[in-house]
Amino acid sequence: MSKNKGLTSLNDRSAAIPPFVPAADDDRIICRCEEVTKGEIRKAVHAGLWTLTEIRRYLRCGMGLCQGQTCAKLVKGIIARELGVSPALIEPATSRSPMRPTEMEVIANESEVDFK
Amino acid sequence: MKRVDLIVIGAGPAGLSAAIEASSRGLSTVVFDENARPGGQLFKQIHKFFGSKEHKAKIRGFRIGQTLLDEAGKAGVDVVLNATVMGIYMEKEVVVRIGKAIEHIKADAIIVATGASENMVTFKGWTLPGVIGAGAAQTMMNLHGIKPGSRILMLGTGNVGLVVSFQLLQAGCEVVALADAAPSIGGYGVHAAKVARTGVPFYLSHTIVEAEGTDHVTGVTIAEVDHSFNFIPGTEKHFDVDTICVAVGLSPMSQLLKMAGCKMEDNPKRGGQVPIIDEHGATSVPGIFAAGDVAGIEEASSAMIEGRQAGLYASEYLGYIQDDTFGEGEADLDAALSGLRQGMFAPGNKGKVIEKTDEGIPVSTSLLHHGFVADDEIERFPGVTHRSGVHPVIECTQNIPCNPCQDACPKKCIEVGEHITALPHINEDNPCINCGMCVASCPGQAIFLIDEDCGDGTAEITLPYEFLPVPEEGTAGTALSRDGNPVCPATVVKLRTSKAFDQTVLLTMKVPKACAMQARFFKAN
Amino acid sequence: MKNTADVIVVGAGIIGNAIAYYTAKKGHSVIVLEKSEIVGNGGSSRNGGGVRQSGRDARELPLAMYGIENLWPGLSDTLGYDVEYVKKGNLRLGKTPEHLKILEGLAATGQRCGLDMRMIDGKEVREINPYMSDEVIGASWCPTDGHANPLKATLAFYMKARELGVQFLTSATVTNLKKKAGKLKIVETDKGTFEGDTVILACGMGARPIAEKVGIDIPMKSVLIEALITEQEPEMFPQMLGTAEADFYGHQTAHGSFLFGGSSGMEDVNADNGTPVTHSITAPCICRGIIKYLPRLAQAKIVRTWAGWMDHMVDGVPVIDRIDEVPGLILACGFSGHGFGIAPAVGMTVSELVEGTKTTVDISGLTYDRFKAKA
Repeated sequence: MSKNKGLTSLNDRSAAIPPFVPAADDDRIICRCEEVTKGEIRKAVHAGLWTLTEIRRYLRCGMGLCQGQTCAKLVKGIIARELGVSPALIEPATSRSPMRPTEMEVIANESEVDFK
Repeated sequence: MKRVDLIVIGAGPAGLSAAIEASSRGLSTVVFDENARPGGQLFKQIHKFFGSKEHKAKIRGFRIGQTLLDEAGKAGVDVVLNATVMGIYMEKEVVVRIGKAIEHIKADAIIVATGASENMVTFKGWTLPGVIGAGAAQTMMNLHGIKPGSRILMLGTGNVGLVVSFQLLQAGCEVVALADAAPSIGGYGVHAAKVARTGVPFYLSHTIVEAEGTDHVTGVTIAEVDHSFNFIPGTEKHFDVDTICVAVGLSPMSQLLKMAGCKMEDNPKRGGQVPIIDEHGATSVPGIFAAGDVAGIEEASSAMIEGRQAGLYASEYLGYIQDDTFGEGEADLDAALSGLRQGMFAPGNKGKVIEKTDEGIPVSTSLLHHGFVADDEIERFPGVTHRSGVHPVIECTQNIPCNPCQDACPKKCIEVGEHITALPHINEDNPCINCGMCVASCPGQAIFLIDEDCGDGTAEITLPYEFLPVPEEGTAGTALSRDGNPVCPATVVKLRTSKAFDQTVLLTMKVPKACAMQARFFKAN
Repeated sequence: MKNTADVIVVGAGIIGNAIAYYTAKKGHSVIVLEKSEIVGNGGSSRNGGGVRQSGRDARELPLAMYGIENLWPGLSDTLGYDVEYVKKGNLRLGKTPEHLKILEGLAATGQRCGLDMRMIDGKEVREINPYMSDEVIGASWCPTDGHANPLKATLAFYMKARELGVQFLTSATVTNLKKKAGKLKIVETDKGTFEGDTVILACGMGARPIAEKVGIDIPMKSVLIEALITEQEPEMFPQMLGTAEADFYGHQTAHGSFLFGGSSGMEDVNADNGTPVTHSITAPCICRGIIKYLPRLAQAKIVRTWAGWMDHMVDGVPVIDRIDEVPGLILACGFSGHGFGIAPAVGMTVSELVEGTKTTVDISGLTYDRFKAKA
């Protein structure tokens, strides 16, 4: 494929995307919890990781204590720009329990709580 | 396993309203909130709310919060605090952390009202201590009594950026500037105007190049951006600041709904990942409802109505409403909500450039680009009239859903009319008695009582004043114009406070007659 | 993308990706079809990351031993992506005499197959891993076992295969298989029709309804597996852990977080709501189990829990076989919750099945015809 006309789906992982061009802000941290940079995310897209889930699993961005509350939108935007698509085409990350980090001893303690 | 009719997650304006509605209709209702205090963001809101009577307009947010809590208590709602919902599992099972244990509890209906969290933008140095969300700054100031910083740059001119900038000024911080990458101010013009007249500059089409500092923020550089949001070289402006507040929008905290299997969509107009809901707040999972910011970013006023709606429909869903009160309640709430969704800032107008008001008056471009209405623009708005003696001058120039001024005037001197978003105009037939109720009741602080000619070459201007310390009578100072620049000497001649003014001081200053239509703020020398 | 290739692989989990990589490396063109939007959506992302030989059935042990001896140690270099492989042994822990009996049986199996595996007492357990509680009275110890990062390993095979020209198509659900003149060649999906000389089903539970299209039934069922991960903790120990009753298993990752898999005992009967959502009682069960063995972790915070369906074969080991009665069909499924550690060896072995050469590793115990009626 010589000219990228813009992808309409992200399913064909061999489809051509704009080439990787190093940028001045590649060293900027995007995920504060796990200290993942913009450049790492951009490179991962070019290695074939086109979903938020794959990027998260590979780089750990959004996998830290805040679970991506701050960076998910930013990471999504970076993936979308790199692929030349709308952020709406990037699937959202899965929501996982617990919604807040919780100590093992608390999760282990299923005693009856009287909250009245 | 424990089971109740309804679990409400989140005790903010939407959640509490939902619980009050449901509980008063007989549903056994429990509200979980992860915070130590109920009320969500309401207790941070020290400003007076917009809207109409049924939206609790002109009442300060924290007082609305207290009223909601009182109503919840009366309705028998069980609000459990420090209770973090960890997940919603199959069969509407909620697992909640309370203290050092977790509890499994089921409900026949769940209303998720978990609100939103602040967005971030990145720039060089954005992870330095001193870069904080505007909402975080508000929490520090208004809940914990801590000044977030001394010299602050605000990024973002939506209502949050504008309101928090004003509150930072109230807390005694210096706001060096407001910047926004957008070409025009995103929030209500009246919110911008009350910041601008204190002398804070606005930089539209500007964003942050770099936050400077090694272990904390010591300065910031902003620069102008072109239409593609690329920096224009040579337009850099530097400010010495210790804090940068970021107010670039909110994202719904909708993870619980997604975990519960509700169909979601990515909707930029509603702020991001939101559940697909019908007009009742019902999600795709029967019995699970969403209300407030989690279902789409709006104001606390609409969140309260959405909460009432979700509470009403949950009651109906569980068979607690057999009479025709359902239809009545439904119609009232629909009307109240649609009232809030009118005007220039209606959700449907997001991103649109509006050139004229509903009345056909060209909007103030100076207001959109600089935060204040220019002297040569102000006269075209219907609230600005001239007559002898004291009379109100209403510098309200955008169609926003708000009308307390109309109710405030005992002499019916101010009219908004049937459409809540119409611009207020002056009824010339009715006399002004200089009671000050309009000045104190305007949530936008856009009403002034002016005697343009006191007969001795001076004019007197009464303005709403919400700063400490309040200057004493006789204090000499400088009058600032709408753009915050000094226009003339001024002396405080009268100060009025009243329970009805709700903490707003009415400050009357005497200025040379020629400055009657320019002087809009008082600064002690 | 093209719709013909030498080999069509169904499933982009670690098995499918490893097969794609080893097959492409041999010079064959490969198309991988994945039902999910995401690469590595199945059991590949829902396991404890164990790369172990101990505790395995003798029929699949050769694959595990070959992989650990020959493939895992150099895998990060081979693929060009760090899979965080650590070879520091596996402790399978026991707290009761009944547990020890189970462990002794497992150790005996390993030893019969030539594996360096032995029983150790509680004291030796704590010499190897001082964080173990006094409740632990013994363990089986296999020093050549270890662990790796299942998320990264799965994606590493994918990225490397993609570099070699393998075409991946996600969100593609296989709807039918068709023969052409007696040979299986055609794979129909909701995203188009694909043709290859060999069709490999490496899609876990999904293989059963697909194989039925050509008259092959694979006797497996889906079982819910769950996993959880803690926040980052100071470096504590490098061993892979398991228990006699398999109530939890896991390790500390290179990142510092602890990754554990586990069960509540209900997984065979859990309701299937269509999404791999966790069960509300499982994480508490796993946490209680872990704390008894590792009291130091009581205050470690869990940041995520997740679940997925695994493909449990009726006799607990996979089918890795060229199906004689359907020429062109290869099955690599039914890994029964322990496919991760053997994935590289499976990938290599299946690439040999594609070429029809004698396999390096003995997989005679994993044929499909083991299920036929015995005379």
